[in-house]
Amino acid sequence: MMLALIILTLAGLLILFLGFSGMRNVLLPVAIIAISAAIFSLSSQQTFWNHYLADMVQVDGLSRKISLILMFAALGLLPFFNLFKNRGQEELSDFLGIYLFAILGSILMVSALNYMSLFLGVEILSISMYVLAGANRRSILSNEASLKYFITGSFTSAIMLFGIGWIYAESGSLSMIQTSGVATSMMSFGFIFLFTAFALKVALVPFHFWAPDVYQGTPTLFTASMATLVKIAAIGAFYRLVQLNHAVLPEWINWYFVLLILATLILGNILAVTQDSVKRLFAYSGIVQSGFILMGFLYQSAYVDWTMLFYFIAYASASLVGFIVIHFVEAQSGSDSLDSFAGLSKSNPGLALVLSISLISLAGGPLTAGFMAKIFILSQSIQNNFTALAMVAVISAVVSMYYYYKVINAIYSKSSDQPWSVSIYYRGLLYVFTIITLVAGLLPSVLIGLLK
Amino acid sequence: MNSSGVLILIPFIFSLLSFVSGKKWSSIIALISSVGSLFYFLLLLSAYNVKTNYVAFGFYYDWIPSIRASLSFGMDAANLLVLMLTQIVVCLAVLATMVKGNDRTASYYGLIGLTHTFLNAFFSAQNPMTFLIFFEATLIPVYFLILNFGGPKRKQAVFKFFIYTVFGGLLMLLAILFYQSNMFPQLRLDSWADFYQYKLSLKYQYWLFAAFFIAFAIKAPLFPFHTWQADLYSQADRPTLMILAALLSKMGIYGFVRFNFFFIQVVYDWFNYITLLCVIGVVYGAIVAWRQKDIIRLIAYSSLSHIGLMAAGTMTLTNIGMQGAMFAMLAHGLAVAGLIFVADVMIRRTNEHSVDSFSGIARNNPRFAVYFFIILLSAVGLPLTCGFIGEFYLIWALVEFKFYIGLVAALTLIFGAAYMLRWYQKTMFGIPSSNIIGFQKLSLSEDYIFLILVMLILILGLFPADWIGFGQFAYKYMNFIPDN
Repeated sequence: MMLALIILTLAGLLILFLGFSGMRNVLLPVAIIAISAAIFSLSSQQTFWNHYLADMVQVDGLSRKISLILMFAALGLLPFFNLFKNRGQEELSDFLGIYLFAILGSILMVSALNYMSLFLGVEILSISMYVLAGANRRSILSNEASLKYFITGSFTSAIMLFGIGWIYAESGSLSMIQTSGVATSMMSFGFIFLFTAFALKVALVPFHFWAPDVYQGTPTLFTASMATLVKIAAIGAFYRLVQLNHAVLPEWINWYFVLLILATLILGNILAVTQDSVKRLFAYSGIVQSGFILMGFLYQSAYVDWTMLFYFIAYASASLVGFIVIHFVEAQSGSDSLDSFAGLSKSNPGLALVLSISLISLAGGPLTAGFMAKIFILSQSIQNNFTALAMVAVISAVVSMYYYYKVINAIYSKSSDQPWSVSIYYRGLLYVFTIITLVAGLLPSVLIGLLK
Repeated sequence: MNSSGVLILIPFIFSLLSFVSGKKWSSIIALISSVGSLFYFLLLLSAYNVKTNYVAFGFYYDWIPSIRASLSFGMDAANLLVLMLTQIVVCLAVLATMVKGNDRTASYYGLIGLTHTFLNAFFSAQNPMTFLIFFEATLIPVYFLILNFGGPKRKQAVFKFFIYTVFGGLLMLLAILFYQSNMFPQLRLDSWADFYQYKLSLKYQYWLFAAFFIAFAIKAPLFPFHTWQADLYSQADRPTLMILAALLSKMGIYGFVRFNFFFIQVVYDWFNYITLLCVIGVVYGAIVAWRQKDIIRLIAYSSLSHIGLMAAGTMTLTNIGMQGAMFAMLAHGLAVAGLIFVADVMIRRTNEHSVDSFSGIARNNPRFAVYFFIILLSAVGLPLTCGFIGEFYLIWALVEFKFYIGLVAALTLIFGAAYMLRWYQKTMFGIPSSNIIGFQKLSLSEDYIFLILVMLILILGLFPADWIGFGQFAYKYMNFIPDN
């Protein structure tokens, strides 16, 4: 654990220095090696240097799995950074370095055992993302996204700190283990603030207002990492927090979650239906998906982690493909509106195929990872007697089909005068993600075996 | 060798091959695949003995142990006829596409192959989870078939269809998950028998049946859920439409056949309302079909009428009704595929869609007229064609159960005869109109398609006894009536 954090930090710094000295060709290999080394050090259960952390951070089964999913997603996105190579002089190294810090923050976030380290993780991740959101300096939308993200982010931090402060005042400790035994009504007050801050980070309705603008303005590759890295890290940390404290959380906290889920599923879908920009559509779709994942928070007795982890994998593999294809379409047609996707199937069938499969998976079409993920979540919530909620979720899934298939319709509409070209290297990576989506849909028990 | 697994694998492998092969080879690959599966099916059929084993050639895979879901396929008395229909109709559809000319790309045949795969898997599913997965999966290739190769207004039509059907499918998913979570944790849902065995309390059964009913009623479609049908049919590519009308519409009826016996009490309680819907559909479909000018829409509404009758028949929960519904699925599938191919021949030659724009084809092209007539007779249920026996059994079952419902349902035969014969008379007789003068003779492959259809219709009509008997065995097994 400690080793992974050290590797990522040093590699981030190294990349920044390499960037200064103009060695642009080694940046990407260094980053890939660093993340692979971090993955290796996490998956081998070494405890080297861990005692320096003084129980602030600890890797348990769940956080290790979430971190691994996060890092694999980050690793999958990394080769696409090569597309920035031809832009400015220092930009690639800046982006890569900051990206590694973001990964570091997200791992810290999902392994925190102390409210201080949790807050540190949130801040490291967020500040990196504020910078990346504004990466496209010449675009006014990107600047707006960065500013908007920064302001809501600071607001979120304030709320989170207020909640943490309240918890500290009640229990006299910042260690999650020590506070998880304290059950006073004022504690729940603190938790409500803490949870609301997470709802803001995850962009659950009604705390979602910033997400579409930020997603749209941010350069698409960073939107992809926002939609996967930030979302999975935030939901993962949120989930761990709920799981850890679930003995002392009052009964009515479930209703807080149910309200969030209902608002997210219903309003998120309604707003998504009206979108014309595919990036905004994906932003809303991500909001709805996180509403779905939140149904995993409602369990009374036993927490079954693998349903949530499976959903992460299904969501990450599909939305990474989605955003990367959007990036290519946007780069070549200059816009991410539905019309600019028209005729993609004629000019680049491979790209159209992977995008369709990822959309089908996000929509929950059969024999894809998304379908399985939805089945697992629904079956969990029915077993825990939230049948009516499952009903709403199903109806919302039908509504969501509407906008996902709107994009597919656009792809397969006949007009096409755009010559698309994406190098086979990038397409190969996309095929790999798609194969993950299909394999997880066809043989889910293999993946479940790994996650359990 | 897991036989029914192979039946699914053949079209799957060939469909992947069609996708990657070029324009030239894909049609031949599709033909090999569909004919191959037909022969493989006949091989299985000859080895199948319904008296000694109910489920044969099983394929079982413990798919997701965590949620107690398994994949299980096999052939039994209840799915044998629809499986046969599937192999035949897909063959004919591939042939019809090849007749149409080679403007179809590799992906078309690939998608047809995928549809074939999923249909085989759906009809041979041996437990509710497998049934459900392929119920939904079939939609995806069909969606792309219509989206890529349909008519000018295909987008709206296929969208409507998709949203309707997905909604039904997901309701069914909820119902199955609910059922599964209410079973004892150690019990598994590996076969239909498991499903029939563990009955939930009646209170839940009402909800579950409602979910299943909506899913199947949309898919079939039954009367108030049918609004997607005519639009979709008129937009679909016609070989696709053969599969759509002959096979996809049977998925709903087949669902009723499978699930009704689980909800015996509910079906009895709701019998009047459900059959009322079905019978309204029968009469409504017939009347609207009478009003249609567009040939394809005429076929769509006539199909609605016949499907309503089958659904009503399954609701009687009698031996006769079961046999009738199962045979009628086969007969209607053949007849409707034939009618669509007739329409295809007429439309392809003249580019006209309206009944009124044809006349006097019989004088110009007598052989075509004869084929058309035999198919049409089967569609209206004349004795000695295969359309007769199924509908006869269905009406018999309904009359025995509730006399007046049977009476109204029987009207479908009269109405059917009326609009069908009017269609025939308008297009075939009279003085040939200007666009008929150049009406080309049937090509050799068109001849083959018609010959196959006509022969099947006559053979099944003259010797129905063996085939209709399968329904009786299915009925027995579903009701746990011991063999004697």
